[in-house]
Amino acid sequence: MIQFLIKRLIGLVFVVIGVTFITFIMGYFAPGDPIRTMLGEHFSPQLYAQLRHAYGLDLPWYEQYWNFLVHLAHFDFGYSFKTQGRPVWDILKDGVPVSMELALWALVIYLLIGVPVGIISALKANTWVDTLNMGIMLVLYAMPIFVFCVLVQVLIVFIDQETGANWPVANWGTPWHYTWTDIQFKLAPVLVFGLAGAAYFARITRTSMLEVMRQDYIRTARAKGLPERLVIYRHALRNALIPLITVTGVTLGFTITGAFLIENIFNIPGIGTITVSSVLDRDYPVIQATAVLLAIGVVLGNLLADIAYTLVDPRIKLE
Amino acid sequence: MDMRDREIQPASPLIAPDTNLMVPAEPELLVETPGVIPETEGPKERKPVSPLRESLRRLRRDTRAMVSLGVIIFMVLLSLFGPFVYQHLGGIYDSPDNGPIPATVYRTFYHQELSRQDELPSAQYWLGTDDLGRDILARLMQGLLVSISVAVLVEVIDITMGILVGVLAGYFGGWIDQVLARLTDIIFAFPGLLFIILLTGIFGTWADTTLSNVPIVGPNGNARLLLVSAALALVSWPLMARLVRGQTLQIKEQQFIEAARTAGSSNFKIIWRHIIPNLFSIVVVAATLDISNTIIGEASISLLGLGVQQPGSSLGLMISEASNAVDTHPWEVLVPSLTLAILVLAFSFLGDGLRDAFDPRTKD
Repeated sequence: MIQFLIKRLIGLVFVVIGVTFITFIMGYFAPGDPIRTMLGEHFSPQLYAQLRHAYGLDLPWYEQYWNFLVHLAHFDFGYSFKTQGRPVWDILKDGVPVSMELALWALVIYLLIGVPVGIISALKANTWVDTLNMGIMLVLYAMPIFVFCVLVQVLIVFIDQETGANWPVANWGTPWHYTWTDIQFKLAPVLVFGLAGAAYFARITRTSMLEVMRQDYIRTARAKGLPERLVIYRHALRNALIPLITVTGVTLGFTITGAFLIENIFNIPGIGTITVSSVLDRDYPVIQATAVLLAIGVVLGNLLADIAYTLVDPRIKLE
Repeated sequence: MDMRDREIQPASPLIAPDTNLMVPAEPELLVETPGVIPETEGPKERKPVSPLRESLRRLRRDTRAMVSLGVIIFMVLLSLFGPFVYQHLGGIYDSPDNGPIPATVYRTFYHQELSRQDELPSAQYWLGTDDLGRDILARLMQGLLVSISVAVLVEVIDITMGILVGVLAGYFGGWIDQVLARLTDIIFAFPGLLFIILLTGIFGTWADTTLSNVPIVGPNGNARLLLVSAALALVSWPLMARLVRGQTLQIKEQQFIEAARTAGSSNFKIIWRHIIPNLFSIVVVAATLDISNTIIGEASISLLGLGVQQPGSSLGLMISEASNAVDTHPWEVLVPSLTLAILVLAFSFLGDGLRDAFDPRTKD
């Protein structure tokens, strides 16, 4: 276990270094001179040299990269190019709670809707219930998430027009506050996000459940006369849910990229919106910080999922 | 006996392992004596059907996959020939702004007819107009062309790189295998879309000025498509390579490979004649499913404003433009959204159908 953890941590460090290097080198070789753009009409040679020095851009690339890493290790993400002197963290910090709130509620829906739907489908495999469930889930899963967002928006507009209601089509309320107006804002994006992921969970749960139901110990449980209810809930379900732990870790990547698009369509001021606007402004320090943060998040999520997996299932031996 | 044979064989060999491709005399023999063999073999011997033909027969019976294939063919034809047909069907329009103009002008994806903004479908504009008075059908067809071109370009790179690196890593192992493993680790850890956003965001304006001189790409805001395609291919090929590597590992342990080696075939010949043909089905299935992701990827990037630029058109760009006015003109956002959804679903369903047809055992 310890050995496995150490091995994974080394792998993690490797991946993080890879990611930081890629993001750094992309920013380094990016065409155009950020300082020149920043100065604009106020350009003067000594001001230019002064600013280049202040941002550390006059150093050779390996020293720049080293500084970047050292600062990262101190959770210092440097200063924005666009709004001079404003720390990157200051720009990101408003978006973080919003994105986390969105992702957390989405995860709750993945589990609360996806898993039961998958179980029902597996238990009623190849009946009309299963076909209908899986048909809906397949469409939700395969459809681009932003198309789903747009369709929901159109539906809201239609309902508003028909009933005279005033349900909001976009925007986000106060993070982590749940008054009626906040809920009105948050319900649609959270549901869209949650259902898209739930579709994936339902498919995995169904496959895993069907796999478990074929096992010998299920046959044994039935043969010794256990009621079907006990066979399903005590014996099958517990084992069928194990793969979902890994899947939950893997979905982090999906959750992040999904959040970029959902935040864009629903006009939510989260990390995704901030990243995209800094990409459009070519504000590299902000981009680098988000890229590294998100990658670390994904890797850590996978690591936690792996650990949880071994704790839950004693059959799994980690090399 | 039958089951055991199936277990040992690779997932779906399209070329029967014992077919000796190096001896051309065999088929000629068959041709010379067409009437003799069936008579001597007796009635119980059935005509051997190649695995590929068998798979195609299974695919033909899959209604959902065949409908999807039909939809895909229709969309491809629409994107290639639709604009010409559409422009030749229209008459002269006496525009209050621009005077009399033919359909070859007002039915282009970039012409703005400012007195005809936000219209619903009519005889002149079959799918209506957008907020700048541009023909939605024309923009839709251009958007489809963009989606399909990007998909083709990405899959060409994806398949070439995937097979090349995957086969080498699987067959020889060694450092190629190590590098591939580390690469896929990073790709798995780093959300693909984020990487593409970074790449297109940082090099986007450079691409606008430099790549717009490439002949086919043209100046209509499509310059970034090459960049987007390259970025999409960059994140997708290591996964294809890993898949190919796994299959190669499985195939190279087969007896027919051993036989070929004993017969004196070189490594190159074994790879070219025996391994790559047996990768056909797995690569086709993976590529078809990957096309869905590629199309979604391009649309996402254009939606975020980093892909196709104005006045060019892309399904993602159309959705992004129209989604600002979703409460007043829902029609304009519905058209590209539904088209994109149908296109993506068609490729997913076809991919699923192909997988079931090539390897019936994967079906639950």
